[in-house]
Amino acid sequence: MAHLLPFIDTRPPRRPPAPPLPPQSINTAPKTALVVANETLVKLLRRCFEEDGYTIRIASNTEEGRRLYSDFAPFNVVIIEYDVPVRNGAQIDIFLPQTSGRDLASDILKIDPSQGIVFAASPYRSRDDLLLPQELLHIPVMIDITIFQLRTLLSRLEVRLAMAALTIADKLRLKRAAAFWVQVRGLSAHDRTADELLSEAQLKTLIGAKETQQGRHWNRDVDLVRYLTEAMRSISNNWKRQSEKEKHFRLELSTRDAEGTEQSPLKYLASPEAAADRILIAKEKVARIFRMFKDDTEATQVLQGLDDGLRPNEIRQKYGLDKKRFAAAVKRIRAKL
Amino acid sequence: MAYKTSLDGQQRILDHLADSVFELSDEEILAEVRESGVDPQEEADRTSFVLRQAVDTWESENERLSSLGHTINPNYWRCVEGIYENHCLSCGSLVSFSTTTQRMEGNALHGSCPENGYTIRRREASR
Repeated sequence: MAHLLPFIDTRPPRRPPAPPLPPQSINTAPKTALVVANETLVKLLRRCFEEDGYTIRIASNTEEGRRLYSDFAPFNVVIIEYDVPVRNGAQIDIFLPQTSGRDLASDILKIDPSQGIVFAASPYRSRDDLLLPQELLHIPVMIDITIFQLRTLLSRLEVRLAMAALTIADKLRLKRAAAFWVQVRGLSAHDRTADELLSEAQLKTLIGAKETQQGRHWNRDVDLVRYLTEAMRSISNNWKRQSEKEKHFRLELSTRDAEGTEQSPLKYLASPEAAADRILIAKEKVARIFRMFKDDTEATQVLQGLDDGLRPNEIRQKYGLDKKRFAAAVKRIRAKL
Repeated sequence: MAYKTSLDGQQRILDHLADSVFELSDEEILAEVRESGVDPQEEADRTSFVLRQAVDTWESENERLSSLGHTINPNYWRCVEGIYENHCLSCGSLVSFSTTTQRMEGNALHGSCPENGYTIRRREASR
């Protein structure tokens, strides 16, 4: 039969030859850096950057640095040696203040005000000696140039860049989530505020340490808003536990048994009665939430579904709620809580 | 409507409500903030300020440490009972940071790094 239909090719279609890959630009690499510095400094920095997966471009003077920046920007970071010459072979007058490095930084910031820049200034005593103009004061300065110092600066720059990229809506979500956790965990009674929670989450992001484990920093592959949210959830939980512990200690310290002997707070904390109390308190809190919505059937259905461990789509299916009604019920609960 | 409750229920309800803020579209969150009588721009600026201030604090505390000649590995922070701890790679002195006080403390902050004397001496000599 196949010979009657010669125009039908029953063989598996042959794949067309793959088009040649476009030339790989440095800007498609995961992380990129421009280093404008002398050879010795480049050697040190190159090691650190390569270990951390950066692709780097190198310039030995500010003219070359300007050209590389205009051709290949943006970079994750630009490292500028403060005293780098304007062009190769140019003599530096040590009796005059050096301005080539800061001029390059100013030019780069005119092109992209959010570009992360670090000055390397090992011959100087402190950043004050650099006499930086106001518009460059935010640029970090490395006086003692070590790999660890560079890593610390790079991680901070990444956080700053991610912060600059946050939209108004992102910031409002973070603030709402912070206020929510402070309120529902009853932390405002302990003088804790949403701003404090947000601030502590941000610091935790910068420190990057986890309990009893080696530090893990936020990296730009993870959404900063989500990362901060999870940090706030965990911190508010710890605050809550801490305040409950303190409350129990205070209660117990003021308690004496029938013979007037002081009880050990540790004894109380470890006791099964305390755990039973906590269960009762938690149950009462849920019951209180339900009572707040006793006249709102759909809100109660959503709460019941969540209490049963159902997912939003399962709740909608179980109670016949469309997406809009479900979202409206959640909004009412959020507003009331 | 009758309901039953459980211990984990409270956590599930609260978790979902916190997450639900992130399911709102940009327009919805802006509208919700306006409905609560708050100016969204002011609220967003305040949030930026808080986040930026935390970064500034962290940077200045790290600069304070490095001005004493101490070097820490930023990946070696450990959380011990709510306090973050690290050690100077040169002299081994303890560095601790509390997010509550937002300050670095510990032996390392009491003096210059004895193992990194060259840097300090060089700086002193050039004064």
